[in-house]
Amino acid sequence: MYWQAIIPLWVVLFPIFMTPAIFILSKRSEKLRDGLSVLTAVITFFSVASLYPFVMEGKTIEYTLFQILPELGVTVRIDILSFCLAILSSFVWMMATIYSLDYMKPEHGKNRYYPVLIFTLGATLGIFFAGDFFTLYVFFELMSLVSYVLVIHEETPTALKAGYKYLIMTIIGGLALFFAIIATFELAGSVSLSKGVLVSKPSTLAFFAFVCYLIGFGMKAGMFPLHVWLPEAHPVAPSPASALLSGIMLKTGAYGMLRVLFYVFNIEVVQSARWDLLVAVLAVITILLGSAVALTQFDLKRRLAYSSIGQMGYVLLGMILFTEQGLVGDIFHIFSHAFMKSTLFLAAGAIIWKTGLRNINDLAGIGRKMPFTMGAFTIAALAMIGIPPLNGFLSKWTLSLGALEAGLPIYVVILLISSLLNGLYYLPIIIAAFFGGEEQEHAHGEAQHVEAGINLRGEATAKMVIPMVILGLGCFFLGLFPSNIAYELSLKAAVFLFRGGM
Amino acid sequence: MNLNYEHLPVIIVALLLLAAFLEPIVYRHKKSWAAPLVIASMAFFALSSLYLMAAVNYHGPFNYYLGGWAPPFGIELEIDYLAVFLLLTFSVIGLIAIVYGLQDLKHGLKDEVLGWYFTLYLLLMASMAGISVTNDLFNMYVFVEISAISACAIISIKESRECIEASLKYLILSTLGSGCILLATAMLYMITGHLNIGYLNDVLPRVMSHYPNNILISLGFFVVGYGVKAALFPLHVWLPDAHTAAPSPSSAVLSGLVIKVYAAAFLKVFLKAYPREIFLEIPVMEIVLFLSVLAILYGSIVAMVQEDIKKMLAYSSIAQIGYVFLGFSLMGQRAVAGGLLHIFNHAMMKSMLFLAAGIIIYSTGIRRIRDMKGLGVKLPLTMGAFTIGALSMVGIPGTNGFISKWQLALGALDLGRPIIVVVILLSSLLNCLYYMPIVINAFFGVKGEPELEIGKVPGVMLYSILFLGFGIIFFGIYPAPLLAFLQKTVTAIL
Repeated sequence: MYWQAIIPLWVVLFPIFMTPAIFILSKRSEKLRDGLSVLTAVITFFSVASLYPFVMEGKTIEYTLFQILPELGVTVRIDILSFCLAILSSFVWMMATIYSLDYMKPEHGKNRYYPVLIFTLGATLGIFFAGDFFTLYVFFELMSLVSYVLVIHEETPTALKAGYKYLIMTIIGGLALFFAIIATFELAGSVSLSKGVLVSKPSTLAFFAFVCYLIGFGMKAGMFPLHVWLPEAHPVAPSPASALLSGIMLKTGAYGMLRVLFYVFNIEVVQSARWDLLVAVLAVITILLGSAVALTQFDLKRRLAYSSIGQMGYVLLGMILFTEQGLVGDIFHIFSHAFMKSTLFLAAGAIIWKTGLRNINDLAGIGRKMPFTMGAFTIAALAMIGIPPLNGFLSKWTLSLGALEAGLPIYVVILLISSLLNGLYYLPIIIAAFFGGEEQEHAHGEAQHVEAGINLRGEATAKMVIPMVILGLGCFFLGLFPSNIAYELSLKAAVFLFRGGM
Repeated sequence: MNLNYEHLPVIIVALLLLAAFLEPIVYRHKKSWAAPLVIASMAFFALSSLYLMAAVNYHGPFNYYLGGWAPPFGIELEIDYLAVFLLLTFSVIGLIAIVYGLQDLKHGLKDEVLGWYFTLYLLLMASMAGISVTNDLFNMYVFVEISAISACAIISIKESRECIEASLKYLILSTLGSGCILLATAMLYMITGHLNIGYLNDVLPRVMSHYPNNILISLGFFVVGYGVKAALFPLHVWLPDAHTAAPSPSSAVLSGLVIKVYAAAFLKVFLKAYPREIFLEIPVMEIVLFLSVLAILYGSIVAMVQEDIKKMLAYSSIAQIGYVFLGFSLMGQRAVAGGLLHIFNHAMMKSMLFLAAGIIIYSTGIRRIRDMKGLGVKLPLTMGAFTIGALSMVGIPGTNGFISKWQLALGALDLGRPIIVVVILLSSLLNCLYYMPIVINAFFGVKGEPELEIGKVPGVMLYSILFLGFGIIFFGIYPAPLLAFLQKTVTAIL
């Protein structure tokens, strides 16, 4: 057995066991709590990273931990797709945890926030390293339920209402997944990811299983029409948690769908039964809906939330194209969007933290007061629109190539339309932030130094700015050089899935 | 380990009965011995059940003739896998409930009746043990009657107006049920001349065709009789009042154990006495299946609108017993195993929830769900355990509730009835809708709420629910041996 086999256990159990430790020690010292949280996130990231050479060689590991029910157990799997998402999640998590240190200073409930944050990290990694759908389901539910505490952190009536909607939809999605998994078990005798395609004949039960998988994972990914929880849950959470919710936890739904499309069913089944049409229609609606409604939102975080819905539509679309380029674009977009959206949410958080302003109309001139924050925001926003040479452009380009490969140029048109819409709702923010608001500054009663130069007194603290800037620069570098690590991983993962994923 | 354990079942029942009769005397003359006597008897019950389970698991089931008299004239006890499973469930949960009750009852009951409570409790336990092991229909009826009366009495013992009203309702309906059971037994005796389940199973196929009406009536009366007692929809009407008004340990035992013993008796009679062919001709099981689906939906929906926490838990029990009957009426291997598993799991879950509600009422006096804001801060362990119970009722993986639902769903799919799975999942969603708000209100959103008066929670009460909570998670992660045992049980029955 390779020594790497122990890594999934470590990266899942270490955060989970650190959670009570952090909680207990938080009563003693705040610094200890903060330090331990960051340490846990960092160690987890590097542990996941240690798998890199192993997966780059194309090797996979799968093994059973123990049996729960007959023919059903907890299994572990490491393959390139797991690695892609795990490394992405742990990296963004690390950044968000460092960011939280200063962001959460004025907040209450920190003793609850940090343990839950770290626990959710462990649970999320458990999803990616699961070797069968049952294990995946267990960690999926665990992650969803525990992140509820993050969503309702503020405990205001709005937060509680949003959290309740999130909870109910999570349970609905979870129950749909339960049906799907049990139907798969009934049809195939197993739900393991190591047995190749499980259901090769489309039947009524198989169709219902497919729909339920779509409901379960799609609800998590913010697919229309199950996206209704997203625009309320993401804005109401503390910003680092929003970054993680939008940046990473949505991707678990996408990951689940990828596994379903390649390990439960396969391309022939889905295309022959024309189920891909259903997914494609929903994906297109999601893309257009997300982008269009974002235009009508004036709360910054709500606009970002609707933007996430639109972007996850891209991911769904890329999956269902079933071409190699499409898949590369899909997985690369998972990387890109995670970087872009977390940067955007962290930047939005910094703005709210420093100035208390959430409404887009009030953000004029903020770029001059918070240059680094808005700089990162700008890079990420331009990437979302799809401006070269940023990573958003690269993913849209690859997705378009995939659409053309599938002989469906209509999707290219859809991508262009939504890019236009993205531009329509991001550019005004950026322009106003840097070039607007001189009149407002004179009108405000606060002490504002109307200097021509850049003023760093209004900027957020270093611990908040640095993660933001790192992620923003990530958007830049992961798009600038065509052979960058994210693109390499996506390429390998797509090829791997296409070859059968064993 | 070659002790002659074959007498053990009789000893259990006899000892419980003896202790039941001794209790009032002890309570009158040496009050301090009353509680230890109950605990000792229940502990003996639990330990011997455990031993019996190990013995039957290792050596196989055995039959015992009471007094050495062989059937068809003597009473036979069949100690098979089902019997030891039921014995273990009843004894362990019963022990935990009465340990809890030591403190709670002093608070709720008048001083002079406490001894009587112990008597009734022991009688109830004795009769449940008797129903589990007996293989004779009339013997079963006798124990059913004993349990009916003791169950009614442990409700009314609180002597408040609502208790007496609830227990009277229960008594009347329960007596009707017993009457039905007696008539059904008489019907079967009339046509076969046998009361022994084994003998009935042999003879019935031969006489079936001659007396179709008798069989039909007996089936109907059994369904109604056991249905009323097990609170199967639509014969459940006595349950909400009864379980709400009773003292908490009684509620726990009533919801968790008593209604289950009748479901188990139903299983014994229908799947062991009657031959399987009958169900092909007479769709009794289809009817029961339909009623159980209605029970599941009705119980979950009505629970959502309840204000009193114990009433909500009572309606939830109506839904959960629906699951048990669902599993039994499907008659597939996995389905029946799922039903039996749910007897065990729900006993754990519902007892814990009722006992936790009892702690809340004991320390704060609050019964209305609306008033329970912020309790999690004051009673963290209690509400933590309640949360585990709630998650288990919803069916979150990692809890034993999930395992029962999985098993039942698989059982339903095995028989090609995916709609049942949808019903199970729908009820899980409904469960979430009424359990989660309690949990959320307890822990979150507490700023600016008035301070609650919290009395100290006695250790025994807390430890009992924590033990059950631990059990819920343990059997959620490690149900394998239990499932293997149930597999053997079901194979023997079907």
